[in-house]
Amino acid sequence: MRATGGLLLAAGLLAGCSGPFPADPDGTLERVTGGVLRVGVTANEPWTATEPGGDPSGLEVDLASEFAATLDAEVEWTVGSEEDLIGRLEQAELDLVVGGFTGKSPWGAQAALTTPYTTVPDEHGRPEPHVMAAPLGENAFLVRLETFLLERHRDVLP
Amino acid sequence: MTATFGHTELPPEQADALRRAVRLAWVTIGFLLVGVTVVYLVMGSSQAMKAAWAEDLLSFIPPISFLVAVHLARRRPTVGHPYGYHRSVGVGHLVAAAALLTMGSFLVLDSGSGLLAAEHPPVGVMHLGDHVFWAGWPMIGAMVVTGVPPVFLGRAKMPLARTLHDRVLYADADMNKADWMTALGSVVGILGIGAGLWWADSAAALFISVSILRDGITNLRVAGRALMDARATTVEGDRPHPLLQRVDAHLRSLPWVAEAGSRVRDEGHVFHVEAFVVPRGGRVPGLDDLVAARESTIALDWKIQDLVVIPVDQLPAELLPGVEAAAGEHG
Repeated sequence: MRATGGLLLAAGLLAGCSGPFPADPDGTLERVTGGVLRVGVTANEPWTATEPGGDPSGLEVDLASEFAATLDAEVEWTVGSEEDLIGRLEQAELDLVVGGFTGKSPWGAQAALTTPYTTVPDEHGRPEPHVMAAPLGENAFLVRLETFLLERHRDVLP
Repeated sequence: MTATFGHTELPPEQADALRRAVRLAWVTIGFLLVGVTVVYLVMGSSQAMKAAWAEDLLSFIPPISFLVAVHLARRRPTVGHPYGYHRSVGVGHLVAAAALLTMGSFLVLDSGSGLLAAEHPPVGVMHLGDHVFWAGWPMIGAMVVTGVPPVFLGRAKMPLARTLHDRVLYADADMNKADWMTALGSVVGILGIGAGLWWADSAAALFISVSILRDGITNLRVAGRALMDARATTVEGDRPHPLLQRVDAHLRSLPWVAEAGSRVRDEGHVFHVEAFVVPRGGRVPGLDDLVAARESTIALDWKIQDLVVIPVDQLPAELLPGVEAAAGEHG
């Protein structure tokens, strides 16, 4: 019965917490809002394209810029390989990684893969959901991003 | 149709309890099918939800073992199985307990390592049509929906388990009754994620897993003891069954009996009794006396059917541990 009391107490405390719900353990959304959104880009045309010396381009790059605008944030682009960028995402050196990731991406344990923002046929004609990679457990940020993706871009095509 | 356990014909109360228990077992299985589907659809990457789902999957084992055990236990003894099939209850109980223990250990390691590695569980949004909402809410909803009904199932099963002296049913009822703790644990974990406490989910999962593990250890101990022919106990397994005293007292009350002692093992549902009697004055009892002694003892309770009465010159201490000490106290 003591365990029960503890659980009820915990539930009450949690339900009584003020502030955004869900919240970020590391405060990503708060930091990015009105600040800088650090986005990692790995080339994967037509979703993303990079060129030396220039800004990256492509559908997902546009989406990331638009998302940053909704938060009054500047975008700081980092170009690299998938593994390198996901590693930096885990180290909290990046806030978002784009690169034509699909629902079958193997990075599910290292990054929070978003809900699919569009589904297009792959080369075999099978439906393939497309997702982005956010930091694990930063749920206020994740919810904001997913809501943005779902509400504005559910049927975008490359 | 009369209900039986082996060659034991069940009295109306037990036959009725058996019918209701079988029906409840099917209701439980039907409910679990719905429950695991709903929880699977919403569980996402929450550790606590995963643990609760695993517990739901495991909850299939007790009602299924109960149905299988009861089905087997009804069979009459055969040449190949002279003691009947009552032990199917013990086997079912052992299987259920081992499953609980295994899954409990696995989940403790899984959620414990999640806590040590400081895994931050992501819970994003779900959408139904144009409705976008935090995925934590349907998880909490699923936990409330699947957490409450088992408590009522457990409460309904508990008295039936006592009436039928069925340990598998008892273990099942016990787990059902504890299900709401699992559900509440998961809800706390999800709310914790929502509040930005990444560790709340793993901690809640750990709490649930420890309770599964504890269930496994308790049941394994009781099931193992029963299979090793321990003295018959109540269905809770915490004290000797009162019938043991009544058998000895009844035999002692017969006019030709000076001293009586018996050993009783729980075959599952029914007892198997070997009763030793010392006739007064060393006189050999008549055949009628022996038959009457056996029949009147069997009439004490429906659980007693398989009974042998053995006249001896003195109670055999090597077969009845404790007899010598008791005799010494009297002398």
